Amino acid sequence: MTMDRRQFLRVGALLVPATYLAACDSEGPASARPVLRRAERWNERIERKLQRHTSIDISSPKAALAGDDFPKYYISDHVPVWDARVRGPWSLEVRGLVRKPRRFTLDELTKLPSVTYRLDHYCVEGWTAVATWTGVRVSELARVVELLPDVHYVDFQSFDDGYHESWDLESATHPQSLIAYGMDGDFLGPAHGGPARMYSPVKLGYKSTKYLTRVVFLPERNGGYWSDQGYEWYAGT
Amino acid sequence: MKRHHWIVRVTHWVTVLAIAIMVGSGLRIFNAYPAFHRKGATFCCYPFEGKPIPNWLTFGGWLAGARNWHFAMMWVLVLTGLVYLAFIYVHGDWRDVVPRRGWVRDSWTMVKYYTFIQPTHPRQGKYNALQRVAYFALPYLAALEVATGIAIWKPVELAPLTDLFGGYVWARYWHFVIMVLLVVLILGHVFFVLTTDPYSIVSMITGRYNAARSPEARNARPFYHVLPRREDESAAQSEPHTASGER
Repeated sequence: MTMDRRQFLRVGALLVPATYLAACDSEGPASARPVLRRAERWNERIERKLQRHTSIDISSPKAALAGDDFPKYYISDHVPVWDARVRGPWSLEVRGLVRKPRRFTLDELTKLPSVTYRLDHYCVEGWTAVATWTGVRVSELARVVELLPDVHYVDFQSFDDGYHESWDLESATHPQSLIAYGMDGDFLGPAHGGPARMYSPVKLGYKSTKYLTRVVFLPERNGGYWSDQGYEWYAGT
Repeated sequence: MKRHHWIVRVTHWVTVLAIAIMVGSGLRIFNAYPAFHRKGATFCCYPFEGKPIPNWLTFGGWLAGARNWHFAMMWVLVLTGLVYLAFIYVHGDWRDVVPRRGWVRDSWTMVKYYTFIQPTHPRQGKYNALQRVAYFALPYLAALEVATGIAIWKPVELAPLTDLFGGYVWARYWHFVIMVLLVVLILGHVFFVLTTDPYSIVSMITGRYNAARSPEARNARPFYHVLPRREDESAAQSEPHTASGER
């Protein structure tokens, strides 16, 4: 090589750490964003192929219930509490491409066939927590309202400052995907998304909308609070 | 005869970039929950529970940014790794990195040489015994890193894999520990390249290598050019002693 080797090495020795320092703590070049989005869609195709109703979450019997250490997240400034004096009695509206759209009071919801599962929570941040969830399967709800054939997505909407996340129908009708109104044997309180929330171990926690008010069956996906900000829309586990 | 085939050189530098991004974005993801304990439980085996990694070591800017990089770059890293492994299998270069008989003794001899217990550089071929062990271990650690990564990506759909590593919490821990081991191996690699065989950087770019400049020919220990030594210790008398000597 005719090039001055030492000069080359010296420049290289400076350039490499300089590049790293410039890249550190940054989001990376903006031009990479379309590529990253394509990679996400590619990953989603694989995740959808992996998804099956027979693969279920079995929480370790050795793992204790998180109890009071179960994190409490919401996007409003304060814990969202349904105030019946202002808003009237809480109810869950189920609509969209369905034959029999209807509202369920909490009482009506609890009279539907229910299940109780001890499940792992997988948060996008990396932590897990175990809790016992009681509620109605989304598939049961879908059976009651009778879906039209064009339904491929479900949007779960809340009274927590417009928070919502939409799901693919396959994941939403997984046997462990619940409209949960009970946690660890008690009715779901405001801290964890009461009166009722979406709960499922087959997607990352942020997909499970708390403070539920509406379940809308849709022909197209409808984004979501976190997925519109750059988090994966599919977010399967 | 080139020292490194172009496929080896290309996969090497793509891997450098991909690993840097995977580690940086992985640490940023880790910082969203810089601990291993399940909520409501404790974790036995990590002394820095709750302490985040300094931001300047991370990449991705925020959790979602880092995740998007991590889940895109994983394909680049895995595919590059598979191309490299397929190539060294077909082309026969794997023989250069598989440890030879007596590798424990030979590695120990290298350690003694580096610590000045043994005066002369042991005979070696393309790579010394320590290098062989390192380069041979790398794909196995990398495979484990990929497997533990998939285990925490799909703890429900691929529950048997996650269970193999002891469940989600432990799989996440092993993913972190193996990352640290890989980083230690890589830092060692970079340290020895820079301090004993800087000429090999050129060979990883152009493929050409001057055997007269090999660490064996120069009897080069770390900081060979910096440490004072007697003339007769130099195996290659024609070689410059200081960085400016060549010019």
